[in-house]
Amino acid sequence: MTHLKLSNISKQFAETAAVQDFNLSVDKGEFVSFLGPSGCGKTTTLRMIAGFEVPTTGNVILDDVDITDKAPNQRNVGMVFQAYALFPNMTVAQNIGFGLRIRREPESAIKERVAEMLALIHLEQRGNNYPFQLSGGQQQRVALARALAIRPHVLLLDEPLSALDAKIRVQLRAEIRAIQRKLGITAIYVTHDQEEALSISDRIVVMNVGVIEQVGTPFEIYNFPQTAFVANFVGTLNAVNAEILDPSKGLIAMDAIELKSAEDLKGRQKGEKITIAIRPERLHFASEGKRGNEFDCKIENITFLGSVVRIQVSMGKSRFNMDTFNNPFLELPKIGDKTQVTCSREAVIVLKN
Amino acid sequence: MTVLASEKRDAPIARPAQHKMSWAWVGVLPFFLFAFLFLLYPSSTIAVGSFQNSTTQAFTFKNIVALFTDRYILGAYWISIQISLVTSIGGGIFGFLLAYAAIRGGLPRFMRSSLMTFCGVASNFAGVPLAFAFITLLSPTGLLINWLRALGYNPYYHGFTLYTFTGLSIVYMYFQFPLMVLIIAPAIDGLRREWVEASENLGASTFQYWRFVALPILLPSILGTMILLFGNSFGAFATAQALTGGQINLVTIVIGAQLRGDVLGDPGLGYACCLGMVVVMAIAITGYTVLQRRTERWLR
Amino acid sequence: MKRGNAAWSWFVMFVGILYFFLPLLATFVFSLKAKLGVLSFYSYEQTLSDPTFVYEFTYSLIWAVLTIIVGILLFVPTAYLIRLRVPQLRGVVEFVTLLPFVIPAIVLVFGLVRTFSHPPLLIVDSPAVLVAGYTVLSMPYMYRAIDTGLRSIDVRTLTEAAQSLGAGWGTILFRIILPNIRVAILSGSFLSFAIVMGEYILAQYLAKPAFAPYMAYQIQQQAYGPSAMAIISFALTWAAMGIIQLVGRGGEQAQLAGGH
Repeated sequence: MTHLKLSNISKQFAETAAVQDFNLSVDKGEFVSFLGPSGCGKTTTLRMIAGFEVPTTGNVILDDVDITDKAPNQRNVGMVFQAYALFPNMTVAQNIGFGLRIRREPESAIKERVAEMLALIHLEQRGNNYPFQLSGGQQQRVALARALAIRPHVLLLDEPLSALDAKIRVQLRAEIRAIQRKLGITAIYVTHDQEEALSISDRIVVMNVGVIEQVGTPFEIYNFPQTAFVANFVGTLNAVNAEILDPSKGLIAMDAIELKSAEDLKGRQKGEKITIAIRPERLHFASEGKRGNEFDCKIENITFLGSVVRIQVSMGKSRFNMDTFNNPFLELPKIGDKTQVTCSREAVIVLKN
Repeated sequence: MTVLASEKRDAPIARPAQHKMSWAWVGVLPFFLFAFLFLLYPSSTIAVGSFQNSTTQAFTFKNIVALFTDRYILGAYWISIQISLVTSIGGGIFGFLLAYAAIRGGLPRFMRSSLMTFCGVASNFAGVPLAFAFITLLSPTGLLINWLRALGYNPYYHGFTLYTFTGLSIVYMYFQFPLMVLIIAPAIDGLRREWVEASENLGASTFQYWRFVALPILLPSILGTMILLFGNSFGAFATAQALTGGQINLVTIVIGAQLRGDVLGDPGLGYACCLGMVVVMAIAITGYTVLQRRTERWLR
Repeated sequence: MKRGNAAWSWFVMFVGILYFFLPLLATFVFSLKAKLGVLSFYSYEQTLSDPTFVYEFTYSLIWAVLTIIVGILLFVPTAYLIRLRVPQLRGVVEFVTLLPFVIPAIVLVFGLVRTFSHPPLLIVDSPAVLVAGYTVLSMPYMYRAIDTGLRSIDVRTLTEAAQSLGAGWGTILFRIILPNIRVAILSGSFLSFAIVMGEYILAQYLAKPAFAPYMAYQIQQQAYGPSAMAIISFALTWAAMGIIQLVGRGGEQAQLAGGH
């Protein structure tokens, strides 16, 4: 059931088109991330939902009500800002209760709700502290509680974790997701960190220079990227230029090497230039079992990344990264060794440019 | 897989001891000598003189007491306090509005830098040239008065005069506004835009934003700067002297008159006035500093 | 803060501009009226060619330059040493540099007259007292500017690098530190310049030739000269401040001199 709908949204600033042709339907309780590099329009779109930017064209419809022309202080959407934006002259409790005070709720109701929120973010003892007495992570949790206290229709989060340390980020994003699930609230989350988006979203909207590249579940986005941009932005990728040899059999030529792909190439020409992509974790040593595509290659470089060992191999004129799990008892090849590498037909993805 | 040995960094060598230290102390001696000779000692002689009976040099509180009992001196302090209150509050309010308009009021960017530059100049324009400028504007034959007379209204017939309290206050504003603008600008800069958006997002109107968020945050700065303005006005001399020829009895004017000749009948009173003035200024500066620290703590 | 409020801001700016502009306009118009019935620059010609004015004005210039030099010679080594070697004196020095705010010029001059009117320090008539007084008045700004400049360069590392290359203290101070805080010194200097040029109290009560007392005297004579002088004074201050802005690369150092 569609809760939030963005229909034909576009935003023009002077000569730049910050957002174009944005269409999205979000279900109630869904957690959707807008993912993309700086300048891709994700924050602009979020701010249009909040009302801080007015769309040049298009409509924002929340719960079947068109809110496109509503002022930001009348939309009842809760926003969490990148820089926390806690009011420094108010205590944690006063910050959280601010929205309710504006709505003139009775003091007792406010107190109760604030206590509820403090419990939700596990900061029960900090109600009387001021923002400057809290750490970054704590301040962000208070910002979250403040946005949730008003029982918003939608929760909007604008890169809430980018100002925090890596460890806190991982911890806090799980907490945010847990709270969102518990309350069943619809959430839109803006980030440039693909790992973040992959780990907590129901669906991801990948954006680039103002347009949507792909919308899908994390699984879909990662395993079946539809464009070169998505393939490159999400996860590491081996992308290489190639040529179609035989459309009916799915044969592709990369340099002098023949690859078989499981992609549907019907309707394409022989000789057509394409880009293929293979995820590093889908390449394996042929000695562990052949999978359909085998190539001879030479080991160029080995990088130990902890749980993963990244091996760079050269096939023909191209270099591919191959990821294998770390195994202390497995003997790794040495640089310069020649070996055989395999991958399945399904692993060879043809990208739509 | 080789593990790179991390480079160890040596702790910085502690400064070698004794003889280097005394060098430095010698190096700063000129400064302290200078400060002592031309600032501390002269000021202290004033302070001492205020506790001395001018004829017998004996220690006495009589001058200090006179500060609180002599009608003439009390009157001078009262007028000084009044004009400082008026110009600090008025100057503070309008200076704040001006600064806010230029910085966050939706005006083109160049207005801010123009205003800042102008304020830097205007705060220096005080004294004789300023007094004269206002004479050419608001004296009975001044430019503005002539314009108003052409429109049929002569303020001087309605009790206005440039050469008393009202006129002087108007003139003082010329350096009070800029001072307020220059000092409060960083505080206004410190008002993060996210706070406006956050309060809007939570349902607050513009008025509520100001009442619950912006003004409480700015208040220590505004009050502190107003206190500074108070001190600034309290210590001003040349402007009033040039404008009124010493007719309005501000404390500074009284002191100036005393410098020229013994108008108080007792030099000790003059010294006591000076001391009183320094005390007032010290309180003002302290008040300002305390309130500034408070703001900084919040806006960390 | 939001879209609709620019109208109010424009109104406030308009009132402000009006208030600041009208006195200047009046002065300027007045300065053009020296010749009866005709708008001319006669008063400027008169003023600039008046030997007394030139005399007084030049002396103000001399006092200003001397004050700046004394300030640099006194404050740069002090600020440098405080930063590098004697940080424990920092609080004391900051307190001293703030004292001129607490001791208004009229009180200071009273003290100076009293101190230096009696033997053995009977030098009240010497220009040294005047320049010293000006240095004291400009100290909060000059010292502050120099200190800020020193703060923005890594004094310790520069000194150590110079020492390792064999430089002595004089070389370090004048060929390494000074050039690197040029901007800050210029800033402080122009502010001192503006302060001294416009200063009335010290010059008047120490009976020394200067611009402001001369102008006050001329006002009493009911001449047109003062208006030309006022405009010249304003233009001079504007130039000084403008140079500070340029030199300071647009940073808004709060250039406060306050009331006089």
